[in-house]
Amino acid sequence: MTDGDFDYEDLGLVAGLEIHQQLDTATKLFCACPTTRREPEEHDRTFTRYLHPTKSELGEIDEAALEESQVEREFEYLAFDTTCLVEEDDEPPHRLDEEALDVALEVAALMDMTPLDQAHVMRKVVIDGSNTSGFQRSSLVAQGGEIETSEGPVGIEDMMLEEESAARVEETDAGATFALDRLGIPLVEIGTEPDIRSPEQAREAAERIGMLLRSTGQVKRGLGTIRQDVNVSIAEGARVEMKGVQSLDDIDDLVRFEVQRQVRLLDVAEELAERDASVGEVQDVTDVFAETESSVVRGALDADGLVFAVPLHGFDGLVGRELQPDRRLGTELSDHAKRHGAGGIFHTDELPAYGVTEDEVAALRDAVGAGEDDAVAMVAAEADVARGATEAAADRARTAIEGVPEETRGANEDGTTEYLRPLPGAARMYPETDVPPVEPDPSEVEVPELLTEKVERYVAEFDLNEDVAEQVAYGRRWRLFEDAVERGVDPNLAARTVESTVTSLRRDGVPVGNLADEHFHGVFDLVAEDEITQEGVPELLTALAEEPDRTAAEAAEEAGLGSADEDVVREAVVEVVERNEEQIEAEGMGAFSGLMGEAMGALRGKAEGDLVSEVLREEIQKRS
Amino acid sequence: MHSGDRVRVERDGQVNEGVLLPSSTPEHLVVKLESGYNVGVEREGADVEVLESDVYAIDGNASEGESEGSAVAFDEDLPTIALISTGGTIASTVDYRTGAVTAQFDAEDVLRAVPDLAGRANYRGRVVANILSENMDPSIWRELAEAVREEIENGADGVVVMHGTDTMQYSASVLSFMLDTPVPVVFTGSQRSADRPSSDNVMNAVCAVEAAKADVAEVMVCMHATQSDDRCALHRGTRVRKGHTSRRDAFETVDGTPIGHVDYDTETVTFDGTADLAARGDADLSLDPALEPDVELVTFTPGMDPAFLEMLEGRAGVVVEGTGLGHVNSELVDVIDDLTDAGTTVVMTSQCLGGRVCDRVYDTGRDLLDAGVVEGEDLLPGTAKTKLMWALANTDSPAEAMRTPLAGELSERSVPESAR
Repeated sequence: MTDGDFDYEDLGLVAGLEIHQQLDTATKLFCACPTTRREPEEHDRTFTRYLHPTKSELGEIDEAALEESQVEREFEYLAFDTTCLVEEDDEPPHRLDEEALDVALEVAALMDMTPLDQAHVMRKVVIDGSNTSGFQRSSLVAQGGEIETSEGPVGIEDMMLEEESAARVEETDAGATFALDRLGIPLVEIGTEPDIRSPEQAREAAERIGMLLRSTGQVKRGLGTIRQDVNVSIAEGARVEMKGVQSLDDIDDLVRFEVQRQVRLLDVAEELAERDASVGEVQDVTDVFAETESSVVRGALDADGLVFAVPLHGFDGLVGRELQPDRRLGTELSDHAKRHGAGGIFHTDELPAYGVTEDEVAALRDAVGAGEDDAVAMVAAEADVARGATEAAADRARTAIEGVPEETRGANEDGTTEYLRPLPGAARMYPETDVPPVEPDPSEVEVPELLTEKVERYVAEFDLNEDVAEQVAYGRRWRLFEDAVERGVDPNLAARTVESTVTSLRRDGVPVGNLADEHFHGVFDLVAEDEITQEGVPELLTALAEEPDRTAAEAAEEAGLGSADEDVVREAVVEVVERNEEQIEAEGMGAFSGLMGEAMGALRGKAEGDLVSEVLREEIQKRS
Repeated sequence: MHSGDRVRVERDGQVNEGVLLPSSTPEHLVVKLESGYNVGVEREGADVEVLESDVYAIDGNASEGESEGSAVAFDEDLPTIALISTGGTIASTVDYRTGAVTAQFDAEDVLRAVPDLAGRANYRGRVVANILSENMDPSIWRELAEAVREEIENGADGVVVMHGTDTMQYSASVLSFMLDTPVPVVFTGSQRSADRPSSDNVMNAVCAVEAAKADVAEVMVCMHATQSDDRCALHRGTRVRKGHTSRRDAFETVDGTPIGHVDYDTETVTFDGTADLAARGDADLSLDPALEPDVELVTFTPGMDPAFLEMLEGRAGVVVEGTGLGHVNSELVDVIDDLTDAGTTVVMTSQCLGGRVCDRVYDTGRDLLDAGVVEGEDLLPGTAKTKLMWALANTDSPAEAMRTPLAGELSERSVPESAR
């Protein structure tokens, strides 16, 4: 079976999306700190904490939370001059940020959702250290909407307004280090109904939601500011939640590969059932490897480690069965072993290899009582880890006999996924009593123009071609573009300036991040008043980016970017023409385009191209 | 329909199913959805159908094993620590009606809530009160002191008092005066509620138990020394003050350093060698629980209406939190003179908190001394109040007692921090 030729309807594919988008608000969701990202090394204080799991209000502890808390971990936090005691969990949260709620209500309106009469802020237990409090504050703010796709409507189940977690800086021996700059940035989480029936529809729905979000003009942009989770199941399979998809382009692959994984796991389960497969007891097989020259096993044994193994009866050949590109059933066992601290597993479908000899494989099979039809999985590591990891791999092998396990998986860059943790339960939620409930008022909400509508308007009103219009509308500077047009700048020049010019300057290493709105406004004013030529715009922007303290007029003056008059142009052109007399004699007007570039270069953007071209044409004619 | 029922609520075409919870606003129904989220739906125009009654017992008791805590085995090799609960954040839970955090657990629940305490000691749990600490009053102080004495009499090797942080310093200081103790009495609490994974209650409770096992016999407050979960500071009960509304390390020893620390990682207790500390077993257990409740603490600020002082006529004692070296507006000196003439003991302290009162430097001070004011030395104003309550009920000359060190509350030498 090859990728992509599944009959998804036949398989009973059901998929849903969860889109997390950071909002670009002035302050964080529960304090007055700015939503600015920082570099970890900019921190000015640190502190360390432990987290202890608590009972939820209905007296249950979540399974996922428990798995995370098996070991007491010490978390270090980096605080900045842009973070306060609220992020440090040393001050109660302030009231829910009104600007963030307004943006959320705009998004709700764009998706035909109904805001809650009263939104309650909840504490969602998260004890991996990424929230200083041990929970994420989250509020269900709207329900019941719909978006269109070419394959039919997709229902929007709900939207949460919640706080972003702290960014993980590094794992440490004791636990992990997190930076507090990201903690508390407002985030909307949009969940679709499980209405999606094909990989393409999943991608289209995600693109549509992304476009609606961007249409508010108040969402963060750039890597990590939007994350997609995709839930997939097929009729005979199980619900699998895939987390952390960074790129929209990956979503269809992700769904396709997950369907393939579930289909192949079902095949494996069927074959295992036919073979009456079972998983044996985990055993210490260190003796088998006493003389081994496998560097992995040797390394573990030299560090006083042990080797544990488990016989997988009836699994021969199936552990090596490919489920996703380059990921086998053995990889799944390995994922579980890794969660328990091991580097991975070896299994007999891939052995002899990695320095493990054929004799050792035979002895290993003997030691655990594995026959011809059986496989063996083994882990070499520190004693506790080796046993725990082998047990974990054995547990995963047992589930393979049943079929597809429900679980949370992490997306890899190539569209495949790996095991992360069990599905989160519903019990990890209790009220955030420090924040009073809010009553959203949707009547105040202004519905923004959709980016798709903006593109159409730019084409119709400003005569931009469709590609350019899309580039501007979906870009970060469409407001600047509209400001420029309003100032009387030619729309095509304005569009080029805010998009391709800025992009190419960035590629050339110009610090365009320094360019503020007022810089652009200043440049556009100069262009509109013919104080500088359009050719001078890149140079002026460069000058401003390099010394952002100056105004556009000052920078233009210093760079000598005023529009040159005809005398100056002619003087420069004559110089160029005289230098290239031989070429003109030989090629006549054929030399024009080469000399035009030279003349423009000589004038360094101080003159209008039309004027230079006219003068140059005259001067060439005089001489040919 | 009542709280705990599984319900289906429909309003404006939007359907929500889940468990009905108590609402803090009369206009809304609060439903806990299957996803765990709570949503508020306006009652008006809402269609409610009860799907199943009493799915959950919201008020708590149903899921709690009542006697689990006392099933802990007694270990003869371990010391016995009495855990006395007065309520507060360290043992708190959510109140659905007000939405606020309230204290509902007894000491055994704390053992269940803080499993890390297991194996450190044999515990005896006891509940003296179940109040928010702002509701503490002198009658509960007396009950608390009696309870501590009983526990020590019955063989406790140390006492841990779990207390709300708001008024912990007052309870710790008043017990310091009431009690002569041969074992440590350690107050602890938490600044961040016990229902959050990040609560400081676990580390504070663990460190307090370790301090209660130590070889001292002081009344102390044991709370976070820093914002990190690294160590607790041990503050003398008469010199400690809550100096921040919300931080974990809110408590400080004013005008001095803590008498010791408990390291959370190593679980070691160390004491400042220079502090004059009573050793375990030095003192015979005794309790003078009488208090004169008729004592007020008044802060003078510019523009104060003299009527506020005049109305205190006839009181047994007044502590004034004056400015600077111990001053009030000179217009008020006559009012104070009238108070002392009528038999009220008036003690001057300073709102500077740090430093010693000296009413002999400026005219106003000298006039205050003439008016019969007792200089409160370097007493903290709050400690001066509890001390005066105790001194009025237990000594022949309260004025003299106020100037005499009884429980580390005042020093005769002011030593700058760098020289300690």
